[in-house]
Parts: sequence; C-alpha cells; structure tokens
Amino acid sequence: VDHSHHTGTSHMADNSTTVPPHHHHHPTTSAHHSHGGGMDGMMMSMTFYFGFKNVELLFSGLVINTAGEMAGAFVAVFLLAMFYEGLKIARESLLRKSQVSIRYNSMPVPGPNGTILMETHKTVGQQMLSFPHLLQTVLHIIQVVISYFLMLIFMTYNGYLCIAVAAGAGTGYFLFSWKKAVVVDITEHCH
Amino acid sequence: SKMHFIFSNEVVLLFDFWSVHSPAGMALSVLVVLFLAVLYESIKVGKAKLLHQAVVSVSVLSSQQLTEETDQDSSASDSAPVSRARLRWFFCHFGQSLIHVVQVVIGYFMMLAVMSYNTWIFFGVILGSAVGYYLAYPLLSMV
Repeated sequence: VDHSHHTGTSHMADNSTTVPPHHHHHPTTSAHHSHGGGMDGMMMSMTFYFGFKNVELLFSGLVINTAGEMAGAFVAVFLLAMFYEGLKIARESLLRKSQVSIRYNSMPVPGPNGTILMETHKTVGQQMLSFPHLLQTVLHIIQVVISYFLMLIFMTYNGYLCIAVAAGAGTGYFLFSWKKAVVVDITEHCH
Repeated sequence: SKMHFIFSNEVVLLFDFWSVHSPAGMALSVLVVLFLAVLYESIKVGKAKLLHQAVVSVSVLSSQQLTEETDQDSSASDSAPVSRARLRWFFCHFGQSLIHVVQVVIGYFMMLAVMSYNTWIFFGVILGSAVGYYLAYPLLSMV
C-alpha cells in the first residue's frame, strides 16, 4: 500500500485514498471517504477521480461501465454544456429584441403657478401574456433544468465528466458570444 | 442520505490530498476557499471590463484603418488592415473564453466546497463572495 503521497501520519485508514486513482471504482468493495461526519457507507465519491467503471450519471438506468460509454458520455456532456451557453446568449438577444416595444403614457399634471404640464411616462418591457414573455419563461425553465443537470454532473466528481462540462462551457462561450460581443452595447454589459 | 451543516476541524475538500485534520489546517483551508470566492467575483468583473476594452480597442482600430483606407488610393487592397482587426478580436475573444472556463470551474469548486457541509468552509465561501463583490463590483462602473 502506497502512503508516499500523504503527509500526515495520523491519516484515517481509508482504502480508497491509499489505492492508486485508477482503482478507485471497485464496483463491489468501494467504500468511499467517510470523512466529515455522517457520511459512512455513502457510495458517492467526495474527491475528484478518473475512472469509467460503474459511473452512475443522473438517472438510475444510466451507468457507465466501459471506456466507449464514457467517451459517449463525455461528448454528450460537452454538447449539453455548450448548448447551455448558447441558450443563455439566445435568451439575452431575444430579450433585447422583444424590449423594443416602448409605451408612452402622457397625462396632464398641475405645475407651478397654475400651469398645466404634460407628464410623459415611458414604459419599457413586455406584457405578461405576450408570446416573447411566454417564450422567455419556457426557455428559462429549460435553462434552470440544464444548469442543475450540469451541477449534478459536476457533483459526480468524475474527472472526465467535469472536464467535459468545463470544456463545453468554454467552447460554447467562445462560439456563441463571438457575434454577441460585437453587437452588444457596452453600457449594458454588466453581469 | 441525511446531511447537515456541522462544525468540524476535519474535512476532505475536492481532492484526495486536501485532507484537513487540525484547527490550523482548517483555518488555512478557510482562507483558501475565501480567496477562491474573492477570485470568482473578481473574474466576473474582470471579464466584463475586458470585453469593454476589447470592443473599444478593436472598434478604434477598425475606424483608424477605415480612415486610412479612405485617405489612400482605393486601389490598395483592404484585406490586410481588416484582418488585423479581426485577428485582434479573435485573440481577445479566445482569451475571454479561457477566462470563462476558469470562472466556470471555480464556481463549481465553490459549490462542491459548500457541499462538504462543513460550516467553517461555508462561512469562508460566503465571506469571500461578500468581500470579492464589495471590492470588485465598483470597478465595473469605472471606465
């Protein structure tokens, strides 16, 4: 058993940390970290690992067992992260386009010295039942669901899948923000 | 599985080697996640400012080249000046995409750190986000 990469001598006996990384996922006998109180017997990994055996992904039927399946999962997660970035950009531009509608309301109000002034209210926005707003709502739900999925995927602590999320986000940002950044008004860009 | 926030000096954060047992180790870990949270907020602001600078500098470059072209004889090829601006924009945008990847990864790291359910670490993330936001966001409105 190789202890050379641990510095502390009082390190808790935990077979998954003293075993080289590619053995991390022994299907039947893996008992992952029991650090941190109350997590005994949990099958979830709590640190990053690289492996493709017995990796459960989001849903109960979706288990990765071979390198080929992991490659497929990598591509799928990569595309999902890319789609997420694209969806964000698309929603922003849709919102900008639909906010062209401006309503002006003019009403007379009494002014100083008994004069009558015209007060003009400018309203920028969307009506509740308009198609753009409903579309934005639907897209928002999709965006929220995908963002939670990506979070849960990152929570598997699987190194391959986490890299897929990060790389997909970067690629999506690069591809979809390209055009957006040229068009965007500088003053309204503040996240 | 039942999980709840606990005060503890023992935690394993993100990586196998980041294993904490002692108060000193915990204090150091809290400082590290605090710094990470400050960095995260700063990157968000930095990205926006970089975008602003990139758009401004590339548009200045393009308009300069445009005036050069109209001053010169129109028979001169205009492909070189235009592609210079495009190339510059490409590098700016590529750099921003790399920064975006760093931002995404740090954001997930912070989420996973909070998921350790260690209250000290959680405080570090929250305090770091507060400090980072407080220091960085005023810089957004500065030109």
